[in-house]
Amino acid sequence: MSRDAILGRIREALSVKTDPHVREVANKSSHSLPVLANGPDGRTQAVKEFLPFVGDSLEDHIAAFKILSDKLQTEFIVVPTIEAAKQAIEQMREQHQWERIGIHDHELVQSCVDHLKVEFLNTSSNYSTSELEKCDVGISGCDALIAQTASALVTNHSAGGRALSVLPPHHVVVAESSQMVTTMADGFTIIREKHNEKWPSFISFITGPSRTADIERVLVLGAHGPKKLTIIMISA
Amino acid sequence: MSQSTNPFTQFQTDADRVTADDDRRRFLRTSLRGYQTTRTATQDRFLDYESARIAASDAKWEAIENLDIYLAQFADKLEARGATVHWCNDSEEARNAILEIIKKHDAKSVIKSKCMTTEEIHLNQLLEKEGFEVVESDLGEFIVQLRDEAPYHFVFPAMHLKKEEINTLFQEKLKSINTNDPEELTMVAREVLRQKYLSADIGISGANFGVAETGMISITENEGNARLTTSLPKVHISLMGIEKIIPRLDDLALLLPVLATAGTGQHLTCYNSQLGGPRQEDESDGPIEMHVVLLDNHRTRLLADPEQRDALRCIRCGACLNVCPIFKNVGGHTYGTTYQGPIGSVITPHMRGLKDWKHLSHSSSLCGACSETCPVKIDLHHHLLRNRRNAAGKGQGGIAERFLMLGFTVVMRRPWLYRLAGSLGKVGHVLTKPIHGTRIDPFYAWKKTRDLEDPAKQSFKQYWRARK
Repeated sequence: MSRDAILGRIREALSVKTDPHVREVANKSSHSLPVLANGPDGRTQAVKEFLPFVGDSLEDHIAAFKILSDKLQTEFIVVPTIEAAKQAIEQMREQHQWERIGIHDHELVQSCVDHLKVEFLNTSSNYSTSELEKCDVGISGCDALIAQTASALVTNHSAGGRALSVLPPHHVVVAESSQMVTTMADGFTIIREKHNEKWPSFISFITGPSRTADIERVLVLGAHGPKKLTIIMISA
Repeated sequence: MSQSTNPFTQFQTDADRVTADDDRRRFLRTSLRGYQTTRTATQDRFLDYESARIAASDAKWEAIENLDIYLAQFADKLEARGATVHWCNDSEEARNAILEIIKKHDAKSVIKSKCMTTEEIHLNQLLEKEGFEVVESDLGEFIVQLRDEAPYHFVFPAMHLKKEEINTLFQEKLKSINTNDPEELTMVAREVLRQKYLSADIGISGANFGVAETGMISITENEGNARLTTSLPKVHISLMGIEKIIPRLDDLALLLPVLATAGTGQHLTCYNSQLGGPRQEDESDGPIEMHVVLLDNHRTRLLADPEQRDALRCIRCGACLNVCPIFKNVGGHTYGTTYQGPIGSVITPHMRGLKDWKHLSHSSSLCGACSETCPVKIDLHHHLLRNRRNAAGKGQGGIAERFLMLGFTVVMRRPWLYRLAGSLGKVGHVLTKPIHGTRIDPFYAWKKTRDLEDPAKQSFKQYWRARK
């Protein structure tokens, strides 16, 4: 069995302790370290204390999210009500001439699009990938918005599967302000609690529209995924 | 880079050629300066980057020093969710495992997202020989694949190419329009690859991290090609080195921003996806099968080295290449390895033999820029020294080197001989002046690109005596 062979070699290799000098170099620092709790809490704490500061209040989070979104060329729209979100989406439909829209079974998404007179493709049950490819836009929900990174955290439950949020040329996320959290670790906590350790097979942090800089470091949006990402947040 | 030439000769020949190409070197430097600027700005946003680095370094230490436990946990969790885990001792086993899956599904075409480990096991060559269509979907990888070239840099595979060259390539291979505009060129690739995604039977990806706690692989990307590769085809195969393990899901909340910052200077890359298993019962899409191929391929040999197992903590951000004065001058292809730059020079001798690859550790200025920039604090430049020491200790220094060191010992122990050598050196210098830097110069290799100053009229010893 290769499994036993590989694990056996690993155990044998690790029976010799790491050279203490090498281990020490990795932890040597010119400044004194803040003391962190060991274990998973320590790691979560590290994310809060070392990574960029984004404040504690919702206003701070929204402001931080906005600044990074501008940099990423994510369109971040804050609206007061579902009614206003519907209007914003209607405007986009008109502006971009949407004819086919990919959606999924999601309360907030459904209530934001029920007024649109277009063809819908629902990806919550079996659907054809080539049909989804023909959609002008995919509109999905999300599990959380991450202030520190301006990301939308999605799973295949909250975003209608794996493909709805990546195959059409435009991805629109609808969220509520109560979904805004500080760090990526907070995002994992939300999914952990929602699914009670029965993890979805797909989790992703979406941070801006698809991009590449593989040709002479020139930024180009829409390499393979959506050329455009819109996040609509309804503040309660 | 033919297989038949000896790696050292190939390195020397290619290094000579590339370092003479001023234009290309300038192009590379400009591009890497751009990286440095964005990276510095992103790093400055951290409240405490140095501490973040140490916490990231710790997470990887914990994983590597308990690799047996975490790796087993990772595999068990994944299998519990319906994925199949294949344990492969070496390249051949991994290639065969992947080939078997593809054949079992009677597949015709394979779409790949960026995965350096597949380069390491030369997967594409085998699959093409077996008659499968294999398409690289990452734009940079797609470009070098069309050129039938290895990636130049394991994070920026096509960074050595100018847009005009890519234009020519696309016109020739894809019958595309004549354009030098990076955006239009990207759109050409987008259109071509779209169709490939929709028709591919198998998607092959790599993995940046394997989360032991939950049994998930994590893939970091910008283009969305990895997401399409792991969403659309009915089978997903992920090839992953055993050292990619991390203990907990929450570790990603730290490692992902650190990887992006060091890798490209972004605060986070566009898509960071965690995949744990194939499509589950209550899910509407995704592959019906997920295979994770775990590869050892001499990683355990490196793990057995208590000094250098440190290098297994590498998260492949490529930062050490970007700051390396050697990489900037000799370029990526010169290394002749899957992993270029300082990290490649450290690990390749362990994976492919010290005898053939020790020269990489000598082509270093030991300036330490690599160790300083490494986000997980791998002591890279000292590992280069350790490789040199190990090569010398195993008598692999070469006859000339041993002879020279012996001569040096004899001379340094005898003051009269040292004085004599000094005087002879002066005479020799004058005598060889007419042939300086020509092929008949006994020190041709050194002097062909260097001038030698005339020695001082008075040696230090003579000066000291006269001073009294």
